[in-house]
Amino acid sequence: MHEEELIKLAQSGDKKALSELVKRHEKTVYNFAFKICRDKERAEHTMQETFLSMVKSISQFEGKSKLSTWLYTVITNHCLMAARTSKKHDWDSLEEEIDTYEEKNISSWNIDPEKVMEDKELKEQLDKAISKLPTDYRIVFLLRDVEGMSTAETGEIANLSVPAVKSRLHRARSFLRQELSKVLQYET
Amino acid sequence: MKPKKIKCEEAKKYLSINLGEDLDLSHCLEIKKHIEQCPMCKKYFETLEITIKCYQNYNVELSDECHHKLLNKLGLED
Ligand SMILES: [Zn+2]
Repeated sequence: MHEEELIKLAQSGDKKALSELVKRHEKTVYNFAFKICRDKERAEHTMQETFLSMVKSISQFEGKSKLSTWLYTVITNHCLMAARTSKKHDWDSLEEEIDTYEEKNISSWNIDPEKVMEDKELKEQLDKAISKLPTDYRIVFLLRDVEGMSTAETGEIANLSVPAVKSRLHRARSFLRQELSKVLQYET
Repeated sequence: MKPKKIKCEEAKKYLSINLGEDLDLSHCLEIKKHIEQCPMCKKYFETLEITIKCYQNYNVELSDECHHKLLNKLGLED
């Protein structure tokens, strides 16, 4: 069944349709939440909050954007709010770190990105590197490069202008590459 | 040595800004040529791509327990 039909049914109170919508999107929602916070418990909580909001406001959903876009927006807002209250990042110093860091010699990395899931140590490094980024930078990188959204869609979801998306994306990419480079470069 | 260094900085910046965008070919031909010929920039490009691929391939599995807890919380458990 098409998603639009399911949404219409869910809006008229069909619980089976609503549950089908949850089932179709729960993996994406859980994964995206995890990718932002790098913590399974918090990801589960964010997923629950996101679907609670979906169930509550499905009747007002007008279908102007895709349901998935709408869900990404809810997760993004949730995580930005949570970050605002914890506020542990000092981005100025990070920015300086990107600008002043100079790699004397860029060498190849001895890893296979296809085998990430089997490499516990690499996963830890990936978590560690992205956790250093401020939440809005993380979200832009994840939407654009990991979830495959366009720059415009990313801006819509994160409530940022296209130039703001581009500058965050550029910073986030260079920073992550730089952080991983410190641990993945093999000595030659 | 100096002009080359500036080129590399420019090329690296260009790469991390424009990766995945539709590239305006005429505008960046010079930089593209540089990247093709400069081993350092080539490695930069490679490692930037690996960085992104690693994050793309890193996923978590939603456990059955998690799934049921969710449906339960939403009042949708069948
Ligand atoms: Zn170069």
